[in-house]
Amino acid sequence: MTDVNIPLILYLKLILLTMVPFVLAGQGTMVGGRAGVFNVAQEGIMLCSASIGFLASYYTGNLGMGILAAMVVGGIFGLALAYFTTTLKMDQFVIGLALFFVGLGLSTLLPKLLIGVTMTPPLIPTLNNIPIPLLSEIPYIGEVFFNQNILVYVSVLLSIFLWWGLYKTSFGLSLRSTGESPQASDSLGINVTFMRYLASIVGGALIGLAGVYLPMVYTGTFTEGMVKGRGWLAIALTFFGGWKPLNILIGALFFSGVEILAYKVQITALGIPYQFLLMLPYLATIFVMIFTFRKPTVPQFLGQNYDREKRSL
Amino acid sequence: MAEKPILEMKDIHKTFDRSKALDGVSFNLNAREIHGLLGGNGAGKTTLMNTLFGLYKKDSGEITLHGNPVQISSPRDALDLHIGMVHQHFLQISAFNVLENIVLGTEVEKKYSMDLSAENTLIQALQKRFNIDVDLNAMMDDLPMGSRQKVEILKALYRGVQILILDEPTTNLTPQEVDDLFHTLRVMVEEGLSIVFITHKLREVLSVCDRISVLRNGRNVITLNKNEASEEMFVRGMVGDEMDIQNSVIFTHAKSQIGTTKINPEISLKVENVGVTTKEGIQQLKEVSFEIHQGEILGIAGVAGNGQRELAEAILGIIQLSSGKILLENEDLESAETDKRIQRGIAYIPEDRLHDGFLPKASVAQNLILGYHKNDPYSSRGFINWKTVTQVSEKLINTFNIKTSGPSDTGGNLSGGNIQRVLIARAFSRPAILLIAHNPTRGLDIPSMDFIYSKILEEKNKGMATLLISEDLDELLLLSDRIAVIYKGELVGFLDREKFERYEIGRMMSGYRVEA
Amino acid sequence: MTTITGSKPSIIKSFFPYLIAVLASLVAVGLFIGLMGFDILHAFQTILFTSFKSPNGFTQTLLKFVPLVLQAYAFTIPLAAGKFNIGGEGQLIVGAIGASAVGIIFFDLPMVLLLPLVLLGGIIAGAIWGLVPGWLLYKFNINEILTTVLLNFVAFALINYIATGPWRDPTAGHPTTTPIGAGGFLPMIIINPPLHTGLFIALLVSVGVYLFTTRSTRGYEMVATGANPRAAGVFGIKVKNMFVMSLVIAGAIAGLSGAIEVAGVQHRLIEGLQSNFLILGIIIGLIARGNPLAVPFVAFFIAVLEVGASAMQRTMKIPVEMVFIVEALVLLFVLLSAVVRRK
Repeated sequence: MTDVNIPLILYLKLILLTMVPFVLAGQGTMVGGRAGVFNVAQEGIMLCSASIGFLASYYTGNLGMGILAAMVVGGIFGLALAYFTTTLKMDQFVIGLALFFVGLGLSTLLPKLLIGVTMTPPLIPTLNNIPIPLLSEIPYIGEVFFNQNILVYVSVLLSIFLWWGLYKTSFGLSLRSTGESPQASDSLGINVTFMRYLASIVGGALIGLAGVYLPMVYTGTFTEGMVKGRGWLAIALTFFGGWKPLNILIGALFFSGVEILAYKVQITALGIPYQFLLMLPYLATIFVMIFTFRKPTVPQFLGQNYDREKRSL
Repeated sequence: MAEKPILEMKDIHKTFDRSKALDGVSFNLNAREIHGLLGGNGAGKTTLMNTLFGLYKKDSGEITLHGNPVQISSPRDALDLHIGMVHQHFLQISAFNVLENIVLGTEVEKKYSMDLSAENTLIQALQKRFNIDVDLNAMMDDLPMGSRQKVEILKALYRGVQILILDEPTTNLTPQEVDDLFHTLRVMVEEGLSIVFITHKLREVLSVCDRISVLRNGRNVITLNKNEASEEMFVRGMVGDEMDIQNSVIFTHAKSQIGTTKINPEISLKVENVGVTTKEGIQQLKEVSFEIHQGEILGIAGVAGNGQRELAEAILGIIQLSSGKILLENEDLESAETDKRIQRGIAYIPEDRLHDGFLPKASVAQNLILGYHKNDPYSSRGFINWKTVTQVSEKLINTFNIKTSGPSDTGGNLSGGNIQRVLIARAFSRPAILLIAHNPTRGLDIPSMDFIYSKILEEKNKGMATLLISEDLDELLLLSDRIAVIYKGELVGFLDREKFERYEIGRMMSGYRVEA
Repeated sequence: MTTITGSKPSIIKSFFPYLIAVLASLVAVGLFIGLMGFDILHAFQTILFTSFKSPNGFTQTLLKFVPLVLQAYAFTIPLAAGKFNIGGEGQLIVGAIGASAVGIIFFDLPMVLLLPLVLLGGIIAGAIWGLVPGWLLYKFNINEILTTVLLNFVAFALINYIATGPWRDPTAGHPTTTPIGAGGFLPMIIINPPLHTGLFIALLVSVGVYLFTTRSTRGYEMVATGANPRAAGVFGIKVKNMFVMSLVIAGAIAGLSGAIEVAGVQHRLIEGLQSNFLILGIIIGLIARGNPLAVPFVAFFIAVLEVGASAMQRTMKIPVEMVFIVEALVLLFVLLSAVVRRK
């Protein structure tokens, strides 16, 4: 292997590594959205689950507990969102913002209460890579695709599973119909409320998983604000992917590619002040959205609440 | 006809917020009959059937099916009991194709791959049996109205319903398609179904129904066999004593005006060769030309979705013209935007009153000035004169009988009929050269319809020109001096009042062209 | 959000649900504080009364009030038009950058010239930061929640660059610029404890926003747009212009809040000066249900809580986030009360 290739392989491997929070949060947003529930609290959910997941791992010494805790936290946020919007019929954006605040507050409060302020941050071990036998030995490709941590594999498999579930099962047809026209679904006997709750909870759990990935893979600890806007970017990603699971997976590769590019260029030091490179992911996202919103394919009833007894005119 | 009814609804009560929609209504259905449920808008017909179908929860009362009491708390329950409903506004998913729309919510053979060929075969057989023909692989969005209704009927038949409720099914059909539908209904009855037919049109109910029940104000009025009663009895039943039938517009105007309208030579609106093409290249309006004289009512007939809304919005400047000109009293409107056109004297009653015309979160007063808010007397030098606004609003609320607590009542508190009254009051609140009214009386009860008609005629006599776009042919035949028919964005023919003939117009609504 | 004509419901009646909400949140958090082993009564006393126990406490509260009320308006004005501006933070930051830039470049100008220019610099910079998402919405129909938030992050990077770049103060440990010219300082109402005239500016803005929203024709058009953009458009209101206008005005006000922080408090550009103003501003806006009359009162209340919170952290070692949870709970309860009232 020549010297030139090693950085490239590392680069590609990093892209797959960093796409995970985007994929998970994006799919989580998509699942809820397919039932018409528009979650905008991702940033807060990810912070909260990163914090609680980290604390759970730290105190139990078990990364698996951390993952479980994070998904439960995310699921609870999803449940709250479903309850306030579907049952109490409150505005989805406003509740999303409120939940964002709660998640944000809890994420910094809990570590302060439990661990206090310390000089050296407490650490948890990070996720190991799990090389897949045989496949990981293929030159170049094996290292990039088949020697990653478990959540990378989960992200890809999840995306495929969601595609199959949505488009190739009758349950998926019913789920999609509730996001397109709950009136039609309801009139055919589909339980719209159940679908909304289920989608929101599952979506929330996925977003929670995205959050805990950050301490478990990047830094080994929780720092305030460590999500750095990825929650918001996930929303953009979901629109960009047309609310379709496979497109979201591909879009996530793009988003993480830009994020890694910013760091890579920093290292090569082109003479641009590094702060401008930090702006790159956000500016690139804005740029990309120009094309996304041209003809967005969005579930028709996204963001609205359904009331069966509401008298139409 | 069997003696014992298969369905009985006894003493049903239902209240929404503050209004009592059903006040102890009873209804029964015999096997293999077509039972018409007749009444004006707001009488309670749809509410009653929505309760039967499980969309609404009744406050009290009993429902028995084949003699056994049943509880229906959701459409799932109704469908399990083989009760189906075709709603006035089709509940279809445009992102899916016809086949998917029909099988949605049912057990599908290949659940984990969505291979729907078995279901396809079943539905094709159904189509043959009931003489229906729809392309199962077409996308819902691409189908015309008549076919979309057939899909709704197929949805019910596929689920093996025994009782089928149809809510105002003829709203979007040409006269020929209406005949087609009635034929289909008779085939269904022969195959063993029983049908409830909701409508406010006496004519329809007399032609296809075996028995007719009249509702008014949430109560039963009368139930009779078709041949047992006169038209007059049914009309009285629908409007009661609220209306002076002898002096009303609806029942007298038709007879009095033939041949006596003198057309004023002054032209209020001239539409010249107007074309509208969307960015995607779809032609919504093609070479549309016509004139409306001062004091003339030009009716536009046509099945919904043939360009009516686009025509109204083009004249108002909401949609850009791709070609042609529009002149209001000889002034080219090209450079004027919507707010200027309203200022110049165009009043508008949009068809979709909630989405296109009303602000639910704002007050009634704020709703009444919408469109006129920039001008005298409501506004001067950039500030709104709320005192004047309130005064005028109170007057309008009075004149147009809007049921509300006052100008500062929140719009969302108003019922559908009252929202319509707000829009109508707004349109008549300032003097207008041209009134564009699109389905102005939809959702109103008969006395209110009559009031609107008399207002339109009143302004007509003062010189206002009216473009009356309506899917209600009776309305057009009643009021128009001339009728033009729109089909796929083109005007396919004009008829003068003397020559009005229902089936001729129906042919044109299906595209048959009349050479001038 | 609100119906605005002559009549208003009884003030007591509309105040009641807020009172209940505050009490409920205090009880909830109180229980939590008690469970953690802290002195509940002392905590409440500190949170609620620190602002009123000393002149310093009171001026601290007023100083906090200024950016909070402005941030709240930066959220509620687009909200009236139906849009969500989550970019108040970035708009404040670029406003601060604009103000500092003017203050440093024109260091020697006298106050009569420099001060208005400094404030104007902030207003214009903030307006531009609001114009960008507005234009993206206008031209490309891009959701403004996303664009305003993303621009916040861009602003973070920008302020870091400027505070560590050519204008940086080498003696400071934290990224900071050199001070602006003395002519750019906001005159003080009181010297000790310090209270600057930004307070008057904030009050002026409040009156202006209220009059604009409830009495002007443009304000009516904005409210109508928010109530139903489609219907507003059908009846002649240029809805897209309303969106842009509301975002630009919001950006300008947020930018002004940044300029005031520079001109009145810091007298230089400091990274992190935006504090948590954005989130609190949004919470204030939501608690006030978008009502321009209620905003200043809610803002003052939140300012009281915030001052109490820092005191509480200093003296009792209870983390400030506790108070944040109180504020979030108040919001939740206020929103719930609207649901209850509906039933």
